[in-house]
Amino acid sequence: MKNIVIISACFLTATTFGQVDRSVRPAPAQAKKIEIKDSEVFTTANGITVILSENHKLPRVSFDLSMGSDPRNEGDKAGLSDMAGSLIMSGTTNRSKDQLDKEIDFIGASLSADKNSISMSCLTKHMDKGLSLLNDVLLNANFPESEFDRIRKQNEDGLLSAKSDAGTMAQNAMVKVNFPGHPFSDVMNETTLKNITRQDVINYYKSIFTPDGAYLVVVGDITRKQTEEMVAKYFGEWKGGKKYVASLPEATQPKGNQVTFVKKRGAVQSVVYITFPIKMKTGDVNQLPSTVLNGILGGGGFGTRLMQNLREDKAYTYGCYSAMNITENGSWMSAGGNFRNAVTDSAITQILKEFELITTELVKDDEINLTKSSQAGGFARSLESPSTIARFALNTIKYKLPKDYYQNYLQRLEAVNKDDILNMAKSYFTSTNCNIIVVGNEEILDKLKKFDSDGKVTILDEFGNPFKEIVKADISKEQLITNYLLAVTKSSSMKELTKKLKKVKSVERVSEMSGAQMPMTLKFFNYYLAPATEATALEFQGNMMPLSYFDGKTGYTSAPMAGKKDMTAEEIAKKQKEAGLFQELNYATNSTNYSLEGIQNENDTEYYVVKIVDGETESYDYFNRKNFLKEKSLTITKEGDKTNESTQVFGDYKEVNGLLFPHSLSMNMGPMILSGKVVKVEVNGKPDMKLFKK
Amino acid sequence: MRKIVLFGMVLSVSAWSTAQQKIKYVEYDLPNGIHVILHEEHATPIVAVSVLYHVGSKNEIPERTGFAHFFEHLLFEGSANIGRGEYSELVEKNGGTLNANTSQDRTYYYEILPSNQLELGLWLESERMLHAKVDIKGIETQRSVVKEEKRQRVDNQPYGSFFTEMFKRVFPSHPYNWAPIGSMEHLDAAQEEDYVNFYKNYYVPSNATLSIAGDLNIEQTKKWIDKYFASMPKGEAINLYRDFINLEEEPFVKRYGVSKTKFNAKDFLKSSDPEAKKLIANYTAKQIVIKRTTKDNSVLKGVTKDVIEDNIELPGIFMGYKFPEQTHPDAYALEMMNEVLSGGSSSRINKTIVEKKRMASFAFSFNYGLEDAGIGIFAAIASKDVSLDDIQKEFDGQIETIKKELISEEEFQKIRNKFENNLVTANASIAGIAENLADNHVYFGNANRVNSLMDNYMKVTREDIQRVANKYLTQDARVILHYVPKAK
Repeated sequence: MKNIVIISACFLTATTFGQVDRSVRPAPAQAKKIEIKDSEVFTTANGITVILSENHKLPRVSFDLSMGSDPRNEGDKAGLSDMAGSLIMSGTTNRSKDQLDKEIDFIGASLSADKNSISMSCLTKHMDKGLSLLNDVLLNANFPESEFDRIRKQNEDGLLSAKSDAGTMAQNAMVKVNFPGHPFSDVMNETTLKNITRQDVINYYKSIFTPDGAYLVVVGDITRKQTEEMVAKYFGEWKGGKKYVASLPEATQPKGNQVTFVKKRGAVQSVVYITFPIKMKTGDVNQLPSTVLNGILGGGGFGTRLMQNLREDKAYTYGCYSAMNITENGSWMSAGGNFRNAVTDSAITQILKEFELITTELVKDDEINLTKSSQAGGFARSLESPSTIARFALNTIKYKLPKDYYQNYLQRLEAVNKDDILNMAKSYFTSTNCNIIVVGNEEILDKLKKFDSDGKVTILDEFGNPFKEIVKADISKEQLITNYLLAVTKSSSMKELTKKLKKVKSVERVSEMSGAQMPMTLKFFNYYLAPATEATALEFQGNMMPLSYFDGKTGYTSAPMAGKKDMTAEEIAKKQKEAGLFQELNYATNSTNYSLEGIQNENDTEYYVVKIVDGETESYDYFNRKNFLKEKSLTITKEGDKTNESTQVFGDYKEVNGLLFPHSLSMNMGPMILSGKVVKVEVNGKPDMKLFKK
Repeated sequence: MRKIVLFGMVLSVSAWSTAQQKIKYVEYDLPNGIHVILHEEHATPIVAVSVLYHVGSKNEIPERTGFAHFFEHLLFEGSANIGRGEYSELVEKNGGTLNANTSQDRTYYYEILPSNQLELGLWLESERMLHAKVDIKGIETQRSVVKEEKRQRVDNQPYGSFFTEMFKRVFPSHPYNWAPIGSMEHLDAAQEEDYVNFYKNYYVPSNATLSIAGDLNIEQTKKWIDKYFASMPKGEAINLYRDFINLEEEPFVKRYGVSKTKFNAKDFLKSSDPEAKKLIANYTAKQIVIKRTTKDNSVLKGVTKDVIEDNIELPGIFMGYKFPEQTHPDAYALEMMNEVLSGGSSSRINKTIVEKKRMASFAFSFNYGLEDAGIGIFAAIASKDVSLDDIQKEFDGQIETIKKELISEEEFQKIRNKFENNLVTANASIAGIAENLADNHVYFGNANRVNSLMDNYMKVTREDIQRVANKYLTQDARVILHYVPKAK
């Protein structure tokens, strides 16, 4: 009997194997209708719309509370809302920030906030505790002064790095030209940051975080009845004024192509965005076909038109992408990437050509098919996350979408055809009314004029405000350097200065620096020993580590993981050029290649700008026009087709032994920012240099 | 009084059980030995298709290490019906993603696809199982990829060799002795034949678990599985078939004594020639015996202390203890013990050694549970001028404390909450469910363990944690490695 079974099993196997033609790739089955349960909706007496999406798959629940107010113009306090958002979780009248963090951790929950919302998720059984913490934040957030200062400091640091980041500069310019007068165009800068007070933050929170018009999306393992109870218990007593309603200006496409340029010193490549506003809002019937259009043009992957043309074919760039941003308050299209100086104008020509092509000719079958299937897959996979479901539920109510909008998403995506794409392109796209934004080296500016319909290029600064042209200086470069040296040494003549400096045998400076990316404070030690010895050390977790040492003839640099490295001949030559307490003292005698660029206005302060060129490195020093003190130094080094930029800012000059030393410092290298105070300056002490000897 | 306490315990146990949702699934074996697990769930229109091959670095021979991991790379090269480099492209083009990984115990491949592409996923995995491209061109391409991976992840990583060095000493007599990345010299020395044999030994239906989860119809899925997987030859017949498509006439005849012409090239198993039929029947009846390793119950002999020079600036200490295999009942308590010592920033090791005493820039411990044995590792990178011996004293102090004193109620509650949260999220995605079901079937012989895992952890008491600390953190039998900067 058993044998028979085996034999028949073999036989069966044999026949089925024969029926399979393995060279035939299985075709997809019909796209599924998505089963998203209808959400339940109810409103509370204080004006909250509660959207419940029950899902008992896992014993988890999330509460996402978002406010119903329109965005507000922030004007000279631009950045206020972002700053308020990052402060909401800073503590309450009942709990310090540490306590809050600890209690959240204990139940394994997550609680977070931004400028317009507060969210909490946890296991259902910890729901009460989680909501009581959310409730405490919502009603009793108290924005402690110390946290306000910390976050303001963090923002100051952030601005410093934003100023050297071409991508951020291009974004800033883009919102300004696409959305003039619209809250989207609020860009924080040093001046607006200074204008923001703790009281402003409190007022913002009070007026924006109000139940009137708010949405509470509840997703997960919870019933309608439980939801009602929880909402009554934790949101019932929340009070506030009317939500803020604004009529936002409608953004329009420019008339003819308009070029906007932002200067980036020393740049070897440009950031380009070709962009225009679109008249479309979240939930528009045309949103889906336009997304397919964007997918074909440049919305991700290697197969898109922009990638194929500008990367694969022309090798102008590593990546060229397009993005379609559809929001309830304003929408826009943008396409671009990073391009070498020499090909920046050619890249713009090609992108515009692709814009034109897609508005005039039908796309190909394989293009539309590939884009549709990859978008369908991405959409389907995104549904696993409960936050996606929460967003759909909210969108459906907020934008009054048809009830089955997301249920039928894949079918509607499948139905998009080539004619739809061309229609979308014709209705929303343009290749002749674009804002062409370029952040780059001034030397390419002339080549951009041809793209501007009226030949006039608009020049903006790093934050998207009108660029203040540099003015011719009223003194010579030698005079400026002399004035600086006299000012910083508090001398009335070079003779007095020489005498004074002769007496300086050593200077020890200790500074404490911290940064957003650093959990701890770093303590730096700088030593100067006459005539030309210099050393830097870092104290890390109670231990001193040498970072660099130079004795006038030779030296080394050292990094924690990499170890000591002797200075190269080039590094030694550079150090010797800069040797001494003030490198500017050497300008007259060594062959430093420096020039006075002129007077530049930054944040309502006038600076003399001195440019120093040393091989592949360019530096710019900023001297305050009023007192001649050096307040900023910017260094740009080239590395192949990339540039690295670092900035140092000096402030709070104080007198020590008859000399002025800055007592506040910040420095950034790319996204890494450190800032802090000089806690000690000692002249002619007896610094212990043992650490630096081998 | 006793009753009330008991009652309270029962209550809390049942509370835990309700917190965990049961994962339903069906499982069965195909005649050729493939174990199939199907979990149907329609919440999201996606499906995860995975195949777990029960082969890892521990199945390698000591002269040919790195093979299991190498195969993970090689099997993306294509198959008889899939062109080179086309495998990933097919998945991405159809809206999916894919990846794979290799451990000491297993090699795991998976795709996450829109559910209407389930058949494609099954076809892709069956192609990989039946007749993947194992040829010299693919071997050479992937050899350089794997070498680059080793350079990046091991050689150029400060302290990157500690894993290899530790396993070498903790498992002197078990194949856990070497790491999955293996030896590049072995890979270089290996011939095409060695690779082909590895494929023939381990990439066979009877060594595979096909685990599929997501938006699927069980009946339809079974039909497709019959079509693509049940149709594969049984026993050694699969390797007869592989030789038939890969070998030239002469070596084939030499090996089997039958000409290739006697077989039906279009429909191999249906060859009608009597000689071919006989051969196929013989090979179908011949089972492939997979060489399994055995549990390593040996104990470490004394303290092994070694100094290793590396391209590092700060010295580091790594201490290893022999732990039991992952199926051992003590494994749960050991994991919870580790959570107390090193789970997150508020854990004991981090609070004392890193934050308060600042003796180390990093300090942590972790458990590594495997099929045949486990290992517990304590690691720290010293702060400048702190001696490794002093750090070891701190570690030993922490170990002493957890051995002598029960952990506090609050600490206990916190780790229980954390475990519960972790276990719930572990089954939040269908990809996670497919993997957990496959793992539990292969290692524990019980896919259903996914549904009782929480209870296993919640049964652990504070006393259990203290007990396992005393049992396994053996101060007189452990491996201590000092990593020091290379002399310049």
